[in-house]
Amino acid sequence: MDKLIISNLSKTYKYGVKALDNVNLEIGKGMFGLLGPNGAGKSSLMRTIATLQEADEGSITLNGLDVIAHKMEVRKILGYLPQQFGLFPKISAIDLLDHFAILKGITNKIERKEMVSALLEKTNLYAVRKQNLGGFSGGMKQRFGIAQALLSNPKLVIVDEPTAGLDPKERNQFYYLLSEIGEDAIIILSTHIVDDVKELCTKMAIINQGKVILQGEPLKLIDQVKGKVYQKLVHKSEIAEYRKVHHVINEQHYLGQPLIQIITSLDPPDGFTPSQVGLEEVYFSQLIQAHK
Amino acid sequence: MWYEIFKFEIKYRFRRPETYLFFVFLMAFSIFGVDFIFQGVETGLMKMNAPIVLGKTMGAITGIFMILASMIMGMPMIRDDQYQITPLIYTCPIKKKDLLLGRFLGSFLILLLIFSGIPLGMMIGEFLPWHLESEMLPFQFSTYLYTFSSIVLPTLFFGAAVFFVTGTLSRNLLVVYTQGIFIFVVFLLTKSITNEYAQAILDPFSLTTITNLTKEWEIAQRNVSLLPFSGVLLVNKLFWVFVGVFVMIFGYFRFSVTTFTNAKKTSSKRSRKVNVAKQSTRNLDVILPQVTVDDGWNAKWKQFISMSIFYGKSLMKETSFWAIVICGAIIILINSISLGTVYGVDSYPTTYFIVEELQELSMYFFIIILLFYSGELFWKEKSVRMHFLRDANPISSLIILCSKMAGLVGVYIVLILSLMFSGILFQITKGYYHFDLPVYFGGFFIEILPLLLIYTFVAFFIQSLVNNKFLGIILTLFFIIVMVVLEVMGYDHILFNFGGGGLKSYSEMNGYGHFMTTYLWTKAYWISFGMLLLIGASLIAGRGADIGWINRFKQVGSVFSKKAKTLTIIIFLIFVSIGSFNFYQANILNEHWTSKQENDYRASYEKELKQFEYLPQPKISDAKMYMDLFPEERAYVLKGSYMMINEEDEPIKEIHVQKMLESGVALDSIHFSAETLIDSQYHKYAYYIFSLETPLEPGDSIVMKFDQSYTSQGFNITSSAGSVLNNGTFIRNNEFPTLGYQDKIELKDETDRKTYGLAPKESKAEIDDHQELQRSRSGSDSKGMTLDFTIGTSAYQTAITSGELVKQWKEGARNYFQYRSKQPIIDFYAVSSGNYELLQDSWSSSDGETTSPVLLEIYHHPRHDYNLDRMMAGMKASLDYYSVHFAPYQYQQLRIVEFPRYESFAQSFPNTIPFSESIGFMLDIDDEEDVDMTFFVTAHEVAHQWWGMQLESANVKGRNFILETLSQYAALMVFRKQYAQEKVDQLLELQRELYDKKRKQASEAEVPLNLVGNEEYIYYNKGILAMFELQEMIGEDRVNCALKAFIHDWNSESGEVKWEKMRYATSADLIDYILDETPEKDRNEVLNLLTKVKR
Repeated sequence: MDKLIISNLSKTYKYGVKALDNVNLEIGKGMFGLLGPNGAGKSSLMRTIATLQEADEGSITLNGLDVIAHKMEVRKILGYLPQQFGLFPKISAIDLLDHFAILKGITNKIERKEMVSALLEKTNLYAVRKQNLGGFSGGMKQRFGIAQALLSNPKLVIVDEPTAGLDPKERNQFYYLLSEIGEDAIIILSTHIVDDVKELCTKMAIINQGKVILQGEPLKLIDQVKGKVYQKLVHKSEIAEYRKVHHVINEQHYLGQPLIQIITSLDPPDGFTPSQVGLEEVYFSQLIQAHK
Repeated sequence: MWYEIFKFEIKYRFRRPETYLFFVFLMAFSIFGVDFIFQGVETGLMKMNAPIVLGKTMGAITGIFMILASMIMGMPMIRDDQYQITPLIYTCPIKKKDLLLGRFLGSFLILLLIFSGIPLGMMIGEFLPWHLESEMLPFQFSTYLYTFSSIVLPTLFFGAAVFFVTGTLSRNLLVVYTQGIFIFVVFLLTKSITNEYAQAILDPFSLTTITNLTKEWEIAQRNVSLLPFSGVLLVNKLFWVFVGVFVMIFGYFRFSVTTFTNAKKTSSKRSRKVNVAKQSTRNLDVILPQVTVDDGWNAKWKQFISMSIFYGKSLMKETSFWAIVICGAIIILINSISLGTVYGVDSYPTTYFIVEELQELSMYFFIIILLFYSGELFWKEKSVRMHFLRDANPISSLIILCSKMAGLVGVYIVLILSLMFSGILFQITKGYYHFDLPVYFGGFFIEILPLLLIYTFVAFFIQSLVNNKFLGIILTLFFIIVMVVLEVMGYDHILFNFGGGGLKSYSEMNGYGHFMTTYLWTKAYWISFGMLLLIGASLIAGRGADIGWINRFKQVGSVFSKKAKTLTIIIFLIFVSIGSFNFYQANILNEHWTSKQENDYRASYEKELKQFEYLPQPKISDAKMYMDLFPEERAYVLKGSYMMINEEDEPIKEIHVQKMLESGVALDSIHFSAETLIDSQYHKYAYYIFSLETPLEPGDSIVMKFDQSYTSQGFNITSSAGSVLNNGTFIRNNEFPTLGYQDKIELKDETDRKTYGLAPKESKAEIDDHQELQRSRSGSDSKGMTLDFTIGTSAYQTAITSGELVKQWKEGARNYFQYRSKQPIIDFYAVSSGNYELLQDSWSSSDGETTSPVLLEIYHHPRHDYNLDRMMAGMKASLDYYSVHFAPYQYQQLRIVEFPRYESFAQSFPNTIPFSESIGFMLDIDDEEDVDMTFFVTAHEVAHQWWGMQLESANVKGRNFILETLSQYAALMVFRKQYAQEKVDQLLELQRELYDKKRKQASEAEVPLNLVGNEEYIYYNKGILAMFELQEMIGEDRVNCALKAFIHDWNSESGEVKWEKMRYATSADLIDYILDETPEKDRNEVLNLLTKVKR
């Protein structure tokens, strides 16, 4: 049984910024969503798992293998797509992918060739494989990034904000690809887009200010807040007042008028109607609680 | 608006560490600037802070460090891309003019501040202790300020304009750096311009301009006058400033705020087209195959190979690289002006000359590639933010670094191949088809590449250590400079001199000789050290996000894999083993002396032994020598026997024997034919005193037998070639035991002498020094002697010495030659041995006297047959002329013997003239354009058979007026008979130029001809001019008459006047003979000509 166990992981950056604060997670096969606002510590956590950064405290084990002590072993079965990356501009997609395959240790020429072509096909880059990466669009680059992450039949795939810059169609294809691989590997997906998690992940965690504030299966989590969220269209001037009195978890606009959502176990106040509950509401409710 | 941008630029620059770093770097360098730039340059009486010196130093430093300017000025517009703020800036309502002007002026001001480090450093340098007060003018701040503004400022403006515009238009730093190379190439090209004025105007760093501007200046003016900002300097500066302005205007019009985006689009147009290719979902059905991830040694090797190719290719995709290659390839085609040039005549474009020229010209290119490309390559992934992608892979950092290293080496090799190709092309254009490919290979792959390799290891290590590209580049440069300086300062031991020294020049006669072994072991030592550095670099490189100092060093333990550890231990063991082996070879088998140790030794030699300088010693009247020479082992065994006579009036009680001071030379035994007692208290100086039990009475003689051997073991790490070589051995007899104190061992440098409290030493004794008047040269042990010399050498070699070859035989696989002098010779002979081809001819005197013909021989390297005719003609014409006009030729043979080009001179010994490979054999003389210097040098050396062999002059001032000036005169007369007047004029013009040039470089005030010491420019160059004038004035016949009488009366053997006065001839005697022949009316003028500096 594949299992990644993160225990008591902490990391403090210069000037006392706590990126990770006693993080504990247990992640099995399949897609695991890591949700959190920008700057929550997602990337730090991902980098640490991806052997690119050391934690101050705590441990990570992959099937009993100490990730921090045996980085090279982990890298052999790792596929990693960072949040931001660049590519050599003056080289063709197929050549650079081949280069990455070499870096992965795929030294058998035939195997490498097959894998590179297969991935280029799969990421829909085959037609442009001979073109220089400098001319690639953001989406194409992202797809290339995915391709390189999957080169070595990874058992552990870490993708950090992968859908940024993808158009909806590309995003769907990407999800398809990931879920296919997820049948046989641990996939950790970090995002600040709730929908990504909702559509893909069987398990998830919410992280904020370096802390895991919630983890579980999306559906069960949604159940927990079901019936506790209410909404109301208000005037702009009233929002401040509502904030004082209620747990306002979300403010958005509906037909140009402010719409606020609150969470409460009690009966809803005047004018509030029950709101549909999705993962988004779970997320916002958690963020609010974490703040208080 | 431009002012805002200007202010921002300056503020930004003040926050950047480079700004301070470059400033400090330039200042630190400039402290030693004058010493560095004028290292080895004869400045003569010019003070070391004279305006000319300051101007040239500033110009040269500015030139050398133009690359700093490129790093500053190339950046401002490229920076926007790097921080990805181009769209932000370019959408702001800034006018193009304001943006460019503000950025340019801001950066330029910073550039000036940085380069003000040069004058500041130089000012500090002026007060450093090694600058003696006597060498300096009083400190003048204004001189520095003026020189900086007039010399450096315009150059910087030009450079700044070019770099700024290329950076703005290309957006590629490597292209900017390449401009630096272009400017340097322009500088090199100006050197090949023959028109001095054009050269002075086009020199971008104004070095030749200053030379041209001040060429007429006399010493006093050189020390006082500021460089006038007028004339050729003004034109030069205006020209380059104008070019700068033009470039700026061009850049201004080419640049538009949309330039950047347009440029990007054109480059990616092709890819965009296919970008819209239909995406098909069919692709999603592709099943990913299974792959094997391997990390064994074999896999690592494959990774290394394929990544090396990857990185090599990526560098070769840079346009800038091909620009460098093209520059490198054309530069030899345009700039090959001085191929082994002797007296204005070029040599044949043999491969070694071409290779040496290419090495010199391309060094700058290699350094640029090394500095910048190593930086680019090291940060290649990081600079496009791809490093996280790379670092999450199971690849060791060491393999990545190794492949980058190999990729860079691949780039070096491409440049090398293109240089070789252009070298061969050049040879073809010159109609020379002997492409010596092994020499090309040796010159680049054995000499250049290992050094590049070693410094590339350092570059990567420094990049890894400091973790910042610019800082890394500048520190690498600093490291290179410091290492060069240390080597120049004498830290040249192979174990400490970083990278090991260079390989001795290639000689067609001797190949790389015995130097190759030492060289290769040294390089192996340093390369293994470099490998350790590379491993170190990979350990501290940091990976992923942990790139802070502490993290990187903390990680070392975990990054250090077992395989890497094994490798490190192996390389470390290799390094230590080679190091110990080299140490054993250099320091145990050989003695290694630092220059300080050597100076100590020389000083105490003089202090302790000077007392014996004029102690009467017997003179050698006959020498019987038997030498077994082993050229392959570079060894000899010598059995010698000197018959010595007491020619003094007093009995001689002690005989003082000095062994040659060289560790390989051993004096194994000394025996006298009488009872002696040895006193070894000066053993330290290999100086032995034998007291005779019965003193040697005047007129009595004694025989000294000795065994001497020479062995060369281990590494010879001194730079001298030594005298026993695999091919082309040339041993002078001063290597054999000599009698009495040897003043040539004394310290010569005035400053050194002062340090040791020794009195200043003149190069020659006063003309009335009665002791030196008795001597024909320092340390001569004879007043005429006979020689019987048997030499055995290896099967393929011929051995030659003075005298007649009386017997020649083979014994086993060895050749034996016995030479015997038929008449007394001076105590000055040499042994040569080599694999020679022999050209023979003969000469008989034309006056019909029945003397037997003289045998003429040239022993030469088989391939060096270009100028043998000229040499032969020179010998014949000389014998013709001298035997009629001076005296009959005294020997029955006259030989020229070639020796390798480690030194370039020819020297006359009795009937034998060793002649360097480099000064006559290889000259490509075009009789239309060139002066036949081979003929002239031959005639000069043959003249010494009279002036030196027949007549020796006293070892006092003016000695070389007799020996050298008369030989110059003699050769000129022979030359005039053979060649047209215009050739004579050309020859004299050449001598005049040399005289003018060297006179200004001389470190002491000029002395008149008749009192000349060791000043070549006086006795050679001025001498020939004066003698030419003399014979124009009173006629060739009268001069020859005087010389005939002079040589007759003062002949060493038979000169009546010499024996009567019991001394050797001086210049005063010679002048008397000349005056005797001079008509009354011309006497004053003749006297002025020969005895006054200025007339």
